[in-house]
Amino acid sequence: MDTEQKLKQWQQAGLLEQETAERILEFEKHQPTPKKLPLLLMIGLVFLSLAIFSFVAANWQAIPDLAKVLLMLALMWLFYTIAQFSEKKAFGSPLLFRVIGLAMFGAALLTAAQTFHFPLANSVLPWAMFLATLAHYFYWRHLIYSFIGFFFGALVLLSFMPDIGWLEWIIFIAVAVAWFYFSKELAPVAFSWILLFASGFMLWGLVDYDSVLWPIWTLFVLVLLFLIVPETKQRIIRPLYLIAAGMLLVVYLAIRGQTFIALVDKSQLGEAIVLAIAGIGVLLLSFFKFRSLMWVAVPGVIGLLLFDETAIGLAVVAELSALAYLIIAQRQNESLGLGFVYFIVVQFVIYIIYAWERLDMSVFFLIGALLLFLLSAIAWWINRRKEGATP
Amino acid sequence: MKSWLFPILQTAVVVILLISYYAASWFGEQYVLRAEPYDPFDPFYGEYVLLQYPDLISTTVTDDDSVYFTLKKSTDGYAVIDRLETEPFFGAIEGSVFGGSVTAPQLEQFYVEQGLGPDLESTRNLQVTIDVSSWGTIRPVDLRERSE
Repeated sequence: MDTEQKLKQWQQAGLLEQETAERILEFEKHQPTPKKLPLLLMIGLVFLSLAIFSFVAANWQAIPDLAKVLLMLALMWLFYTIAQFSEKKAFGSPLLFRVIGLAMFGAALLTAAQTFHFPLANSVLPWAMFLATLAHYFYWRHLIYSFIGFFFGALVLLSFMPDIGWLEWIIFIAVAVAWFYFSKELAPVAFSWILLFASGFMLWGLVDYDSVLWPIWTLFVLVLLFLIVPETKQRIIRPLYLIAAGMLLVVYLAIRGQTFIALVDKSQLGEAIVLAIAGIGVLLLSFFKFRSLMWVAVPGVIGLLLFDETAIGLAVVAELSALAYLIIAQRQNESLGLGFVYFIVVQFVIYIIYAWERLDMSVFFLIGALLLFLLSAIAWWINRRKEGATP
Repeated sequence: MKSWLFPILQTAVVVILLISYYAASWFGEQYVLRAEPYDPFDPFYGEYVLLQYPDLISTTVTDDDSVYFTLKKSTDGYAVIDRLETEPFFGAIEGSVFGGSVTAPQLEQFYVEQGLGPDLESTRNLQVTIDVSSWGTIRPVDLRERSE
């Protein structure tokens, strides 16, 4: 027996007393041996289920409409029942059975949609799945439900287009905020935050006023979430804000630098000024309440800088913020990974915008970029060593 | 015991969904629409026939994302537009107008048995039977070749 050998080894090495080893052996003898399903029975069950499935599939057209849906519902009940028993009798994986049960609920909805000719442009199906998955998450608190919930939340958002109503949008945001507020782990918090950020993009469909700055407005509004969460959660979500702010800067820089279409018209100058003021507001709020979030105010200048057709202003802001973030993070002994990635992306975007069509200049930029990579890699390396990481 | 609430509530959702569609038949009127097919297939939902309706024509509104209309039976037995507005009113079907042709999301496509799509598509003259509830929801009942 494996345990017996191990115990003997430990005894010989002087780690265990003879008496203790005997007591452990005695205890192990009284443990119930795990029951295993015979292999042949498992193979038989696989074949049986395959046969049932192919029989149902072959006769799918002949099954009455209502029976199809009832069949799916019966399967859903079967898996939830198995899950319940597997939890009570401690066999199999109740989680897996419940996930299959949830999938069967989706299948029942899909079957109902197909057999009863529901319209495709309808958000009832994704909504039902989204809410059901969130209910599962709040009851069992398992990571997998947050993944499924995120998937169906995104589907709900997609199903909003092209006709989106204020009521549905507000309900979605309320649900996502509740999910965000009542979760503690990284995955559900991050997923609900991403859904909230993405729902800001729906403003393009909701409001008649055609602004190019909705994502930045959304990010600024999301800063308010920082006010209602405890400090432990603030630490979890801070990178999300920084990543979003960095991505916004890079995306606007790339679009402004690469496209020659009129992104903004002169009438939107007012909005750009208001956004800049809102940016100052975010800066002040974060300065007094949570200083580590001050970087999020930087995209506030994007609105004004979009009026500059050469995009040099945006490039300077992106470059300076990247350098400043790296330097400050280095000084405060924070991890540099995120800032480093942002820095590299900014270099690439600037390189593509300004040097792509000028080959002679591109050699200069290439050498410059390589030098910068080398320098920042050295800085990163030194920082890692300083933090005590072994190479 | 609380965990049993999940399958129970989920069953209730499906049942409500089904009832809402059967209700169109219980508390509604049946119409037969002249229909013509175009283009089928959706990778997720399977085979279906996309339909347009030569009788559902609007002269007042030619292009609008959301219009509201009711149907009535014409003298030849096929349904035509009874009333069409740009603002919602009770009992109206929500749809859209494109180039003067009126349609509703549920009328645009009709799922058919696997393999039937191409046949129906090649048949130009089709008819669709629908039940319309008194509050404006539609339940498509049948799609077949027109006998005229």
